[in-house]
Amino acid sequence: MDVANLASQLNAGLILPEGIVIITLLLVLVVDLIQGRKANRVTPYIGIGGLLASLGAIAFQWDNPVSNAFLGSFSSDPLSLVFRAIIVLSAMVTIMISIRYVEQSGTSLGEFITILLTASVGGMVLSGANELVTIFVALETLSISSYLLTGYMKRDPRSNEAALKYLLIGASSSALFLYGVSLLYGLSGGQTELVAIATNLAASDQSLGLVIALVFVIAGVAFKISAVPFHQWTPDVYEGSPTPVVAFLSVGSKAAGFALATRMLITVFPLLTDEWHFVFTALAILSMVLGNIVALAQTSMKRLLAYSSIGQAGFVMIGLIAATEVGYASMLFYLFIYLFMNLGGFACIILFSLRTGTDQISEYAGLYQKDPLITLGLSLCLLSLGGIPPLAGFFGKLYLFWAGWQAGLYTLVLVGLFTSVISIYYYIRVVKMMVVKEPQEMSEVVKNYPKVTWDLPGLKSLQVALVLTVVATTLIGILSNPVFTLATDSVNNTPFLKLDLARTGTQPVAVLPEAIAPANPL
Amino acid sequence: MQLQYFLLLAAALFCIGVYGLVTSRNAVRVLMSIELMLNAVNLNLMAFSNYLDPAMIKGQIFAVFVITVAAAEAAVGLAILLAIYRNRDTVDMEQFNLLKW
Repeated sequence: MDVANLASQLNAGLILPEGIVIITLLLVLVVDLIQGRKANRVTPYIGIGGLLASLGAIAFQWDNPVSNAFLGSFSSDPLSLVFRAIIVLSAMVTIMISIRYVEQSGTSLGEFITILLTASVGGMVLSGANELVTIFVALETLSISSYLLTGYMKRDPRSNEAALKYLLIGASSSALFLYGVSLLYGLSGGQTELVAIATNLAASDQSLGLVIALVFVIAGVAFKISAVPFHQWTPDVYEGSPTPVVAFLSVGSKAAGFALATRMLITVFPLLTDEWHFVFTALAILSMVLGNIVALAQTSMKRLLAYSSIGQAGFVMIGLIAATEVGYASMLFYLFIYLFMNLGGFACIILFSLRTGTDQISEYAGLYQKDPLITLGLSLCLLSLGGIPPLAGFFGKLYLFWAGWQAGLYTLVLVGLFTSVISIYYYIRVVKMMVVKEPQEMSEVVKNYPKVTWDLPGLKSLQVALVLTVVATTLIGILSNPVFTLATDSVNNTPFLKLDLARTGTQPVAVLPEAIAPANPL
Repeated sequence: MQLQYFLLLAAALFCIGVYGLVTSRNAVRVLMSIELMLNAVNLNLMAFSNYLDPAMIKGQIFAVFVITVAAAEAAVGLAILLAIYRNRDTVDMEQFNLLKW
């Protein structure tokens, strides 16, 4: 059997987006190797170009009816396409905002982009992985590259410490996850494919073992999405790592975690739906309360965003727990706009720290007089994160809470509403600091603010990224309908979600069993 | 031999790993504890694949992947540890307290 025939039998074309990213990262590595320091002019743009091509490949696959590749180990259904698009976009914006930052720190840019692209490949495969070994390898590809990125400033003890903490906690949580996975393999009588595991588990009666496996799996997943009480690493890692890396971790890595949670919990644990919904409700309430309340006390901008991202993960979980068509769609929609508002915020923080060298909130005082662009961008992004209409974040939260209310999750929605109000307070505090202060109340750093120029290499792309994300944050709010329709379509066309919705009876859909069964063996 | 004995051994090894993870102050020992946990998983997989899945031996393949990834993780872990040792001259976990609120 020749290679082309084999590839078509395995539907290998479905991993084209990942393939493009892998080729791009090899290209970046080789160009960096040949050209040395001169390559810094080229490599970021190769990376961005490759990611754009990958995004194009994802868009091209949208209407593809065949979604199973590699005998069912990888499924490229619309849900995974949306998650992969989010991860690719976040990697792209991260490269754009990191060029100047990495060059200024004196470390190699080519290697940074290579590791970042590896991390995004890991996240992309994880979004579509449908089999235990694939899930594990993709998860570890994402995690190990993230540890390396976290410790990228290797002469900075804070970056070292963040990397070590992230590595130790991350490795132990993936060991826990793996233990749960090995139990699943045994309980299902030797299956590694998610659908087959679910079938075999339903046939046998293994409730206690299944509960133990569920606990371990949830521990691993909750670490990735940094839900309280698995969040302890988040603030430390966010504070110590290079800021562009934090931007990627808070969006790309988190989206991959949600992709894993959605696919694995819904497919493998239909027998324990009530139990895992209950655990996730607890995690969501704890995340929203603790994340938003501790954020009030922060003095560093990066730590503030760390706690805010913990709280935001709690909001997103409402959509997952609602388990309705609207719920899943609003989860996707919120992650999509979270991408823009969070990365926009990080672009502003990076720009401010490039010009002044600090991340302290008090140093932002009176910035409006010196740098209106950062002030405007950061204010819009923070207000959107807080959920002020008519910005995108408001509509995202509206959809999430609406879906939660419809599904009868009254406690969760009320806690969400209450903590949103708290979150508005600390976001507005930063905005007030920048805008309202009189000229004599300016911080020292802002008084000595350098003249605003965009001439240095790498700043242009940062400017482009900042403007694009801020414009997206503002406009998606008003144009939310088409985006939400897209999210609903992707939920409706995803076989395993369709099956789940039909089972829970929220939506009577005729389901074709072949749609989720693995592709025909060779 | 019964399957249960292997599972008990794996569970015991996993618990020793967790204990080491929680109590060790030396970062190298923490890394070693994580290796113990991963090896407990390998034992589990080998036992299951031997007793339940002797035809397809998916568990054995899985174990090979786990070993490979564990090696990569240990390499990255030691590299980070080396970097931190150069900057701080210690691998004591309680000395790493630059980051906290």
